[in-house]
Amino acid sequence: MSCGLRYNLPMKKNRSSSKPNRKSQSKNSRNGRSSWFWRIFIRVSAIALVLLAGWMVYLDAVVTDRFEGRRFEVPSRVYARPLELYNGAGVSSGALERELTLSGYRKGGGAKPGSYRRNGGHFIISTRGFRFPDGDEPRRKLSLNIYGDRIQDFSVSAGDNASIVRLEPARIGGIYPAHKEDRILVRLDEVPALLPTALMAVEDRKFYDHFGIAPASIGRAMLANIRAGQIVQGGSTLTQQLVKNFFLTRDQTLLRKGNEALMSILLESHYEKDDILETYLNEVYLGQAGTRSINGFGLASQFYFGESLKDLDLHQIALLVGMVKGPSYYNPRRHPDRATQRRNLVISEMEDAGLIDPSKAARARGLALGVSAKPSYSENRYPAYIDLVRRHLARDYKEEDLRSEGLRIFTTLNPAIQYAAEFAVTDTLPRLASGDTGKALEATLVVTAKDTGEVLALVGGKDPQFAGFNRALDANRPIGSLIKPFTYLTALEQPERYTLITPVLDKSFTLEFDDGRRWQPKNYDGKERGEVPLHRALSHSYNLPAVRVGLDVGVAEVRKTLRAFGVVTPISQYPSMLLGSVAMSPITVAQIYQGLATSGFNTPLRTIREVTDAGGKALSRYSLEVDQVADPAAVHLLQYAMQETMQEGTGRSVYYSVPKELTLAGKTGTTDDGRDSWFAGFSGDLLAVAWVGRDDNGPTVLTGATGALPVWSRFMAQVPQHGFSPVVPDGVNYHWVNPEKQALTDEYCDNARLLPFISGSEPTQKVSCSGTFERKIRGWFEGLFQ
Amino acid sequence: MSRQGVFHAGMLAAFLSLAGCASGPGGSIYVPAGGSPRAPEPPQTTEDREEPQVWRKSEQPEAREPEQRSNKPSYRDAGDELSPAALSLVREADNLLKRGDAQGAIVRLERAQRIVPRSAEIYFKLSEAYVAGNKLGPAEQFTLKGLSLAGSDARLQRAGWLLLADIRRARGNVAGANQAEERASAL
Repeated sequence: MSCGLRYNLPMKKNRSSSKPNRKSQSKNSRNGRSSWFWRIFIRVSAIALVLLAGWMVYLDAVVTDRFEGRRFEVPSRVYARPLELYNGAGVSSGALERELTLSGYRKGGGAKPGSYRRNGGHFIISTRGFRFPDGDEPRRKLSLNIYGDRIQDFSVSAGDNASIVRLEPARIGGIYPAHKEDRILVRLDEVPALLPTALMAVEDRKFYDHFGIAPASIGRAMLANIRAGQIVQGGSTLTQQLVKNFFLTRDQTLLRKGNEALMSILLESHYEKDDILETYLNEVYLGQAGTRSINGFGLASQFYFGESLKDLDLHQIALLVGMVKGPSYYNPRRHPDRATQRRNLVISEMEDAGLIDPSKAARARGLALGVSAKPSYSENRYPAYIDLVRRHLARDYKEEDLRSEGLRIFTTLNPAIQYAAEFAVTDTLPRLASGDTGKALEATLVVTAKDTGEVLALVGGKDPQFAGFNRALDANRPIGSLIKPFTYLTALEQPERYTLITPVLDKSFTLEFDDGRRWQPKNYDGKERGEVPLHRALSHSYNLPAVRVGLDVGVAEVRKTLRAFGVVTPISQYPSMLLGSVAMSPITVAQIYQGLATSGFNTPLRTIREVTDAGGKALSRYSLEVDQVADPAAVHLLQYAMQETMQEGTGRSVYYSVPKELTLAGKTGTTDDGRDSWFAGFSGDLLAVAWVGRDDNGPTVLTGATGALPVWSRFMAQVPQHGFSPVVPDGVNYHWVNPEKQALTDEYCDNARLLPFISGSEPTQKVSCSGTFERKIRGWFEGLFQ
Repeated sequence: MSRQGVFHAGMLAAFLSLAGCASGPGGSIYVPAGGSPRAPEPPQTTEDREEPQVWRKSEQPEAREPEQRSNKPSYRDAGDELSPAALSLVREADNLLKRGDAQGAIVRLERAQRIVPRSAEIYFKLSEAYVAGNKLGPAEQFTLKGLSLAGSDARLQRAGWLLLADIRRARGNVAGANQAEERASAL
């Protein structure tokens, strides 16, 4: 009831009040017109005010939202592994210099952080220091010599003493927000004091006094613009410039100018001047690197000088401040004269503002720009590797966090190894075949650290810079004879049945299946050799003995071995799998060969050591893992036969590229018509898998030994490393034997071979020596001088 | 009780590590990059592309000194010794372990492992750090890995088998523990 009354009351008041209005309208039309105008005016004004208020509320929400929430989307930074420097570290002078260049070091006196001096093999390096997830590596001055691709006489001449020091890791890529802005966030209290003062002297002298806009400056600019008939002057405050960069497009319209002014006032009403200034320092656009934009002074300092912002000198600060006006017009790399002029103008402004004394200003004006020759890193240098990193990251991180949270990703990429791997592929491939087949050839190379499972390098195709189809990860191809070590390992794990000298039959046979189909495997060369010892059957990659042994131990058992070593994709149950009809990617082959290289311990492949947040707090660690999946004794026997492959078997051409002192173990693989050419093998330090073939799966003239092995050998020959020399595991003994006669013999007898046996499986018979006294003497001398 | 045992064996492994007692002949040979031709800087120069094709199968001899090579398989009796650089990291790890920072110790030891990846002691130390962090699964695996590199060094073998026995006992694998102990006492 009461509701109805209240509702009716104003209605009445309105009606009664409207009557006199109508009366007066009829009395005096002039008065009426005026009142009508004011009424409309007031209503329109009210509506406009409401709209403006609404608009202000909206703008206020926009401004506060951007400021209160995540102010910047900072891309994740991806780093290579840091180079460890210590006495005995294996690195060549060339590789060290490349590494320093990649980390943005400048050649010079070696006194300033981030610079080095080289005199032959002697290096003086002043490190910048770096915050690693496990602690800070402080600045140091280092001195070292490189002799025989090894570091000697390592010493710390300034800074905390240490016997082992890490260089700053090279930045090898980033994971960017959609707008491709890149920046290194800086705090106002850590930037050189001269930077903000210089910036204000040039761009906005009244910054600490105005309320977001400076009407006097705007007036001056408007006059200038009217006179010129176009927009020639800005008159914007730093706050306005920030708003323009932060929220608005770059169009020069009146509406945008109005919004800019409103938002500037709102920003100033909510936030401290220092907050605004700090945001400006991080936001301002200062250049372009491909599709990536360089925002903020922190990154610009790295980008133009290869130095941290806090280490910049006066003339460098002045250049960056000058570039705010037009980063591309004043680009110091492209237009050094313009940039110098602009820089000197800034230095003069600083002098006028009393920031620096005249003598200092004059000295600074006389200096060269001091810009580094090129950006200290370039993007997409290692697309195949970064692709694998991203796939590993995707297991634990959301894409949007990777793009915006400024994570630091410490990878295992070794730039020196990657360089050698890319060179091996690009240099070897054109020589392997000519004509259309040659053009169609593609190659991949995967390199891992043998005992850590760290992926050190990845080449996804003959053009390593091409970020397309990543063959190293996605080309699933039949592995051919690369499967044989797993067959023989399955056999050697039964020492009561198989040893390295067990005779296996190299003779053709036909397998008839239940459904009537027949399978008749053949050797690659079509020959048959009768009985051969197992070690030779593997080192020479004979097909017939491999199938016979595989059928004897059982296809199911071989599959079990492959599963244990890390194959997760389907494996055929047909006997043809014993000749490698099973398809795998090069990275999977690297994974399963890791277990063979490390005496039966699976070591999951890793590309990431650690991920930290922007502040350096560890988010994830990817630790070394080992998992014993095979008897080390049986693997040791297999490693013997894989060494023999390199010395006498299908891999022996490796020693045309590689020093003969470098002992290696490996296996060739070829599929029908040379469609796939594989080589997988290892040294003491490295495991590498090479594949050569065509994307259309067409035939080639290549075998594993003439296609993939040359790539592999070329790679191995570039890298200083330890030879493969496995520790003899418990339960294995070496004996001199005559493999043909399957009997023990004496060291200097003809056909004598020193072979490992699992204890108890060695032959019991002994054959008398047919060797002469002279041969014994010769052997004794050989032993003495080796 | 069992944790105490593990600790005991861990200390034994620690003693061995710091004593740097790996023995045996040589180790694997370090070979400077000597491949001919070496990578030019920058790669892919025209001259290089015109070099003779040295590795085509047709140009290979049938065998390279097979007789001499065949009699000399490469193997060795012991893993790597700890280099001074690795030893300094192991010492850092020990200090962290004493302060109860197992994770910090693991980080240092992994760094050392990258420098001397074929040292049995490094894996025993990693095992010790995992025991301290109460992660006995990885600890057992690292002990096995260390044992595979202990070669003919009886002291290292003994330390490894005792460590393994203690870890297995702590995991409830009594039979495995006894077996490991027998291996230790047989040395």
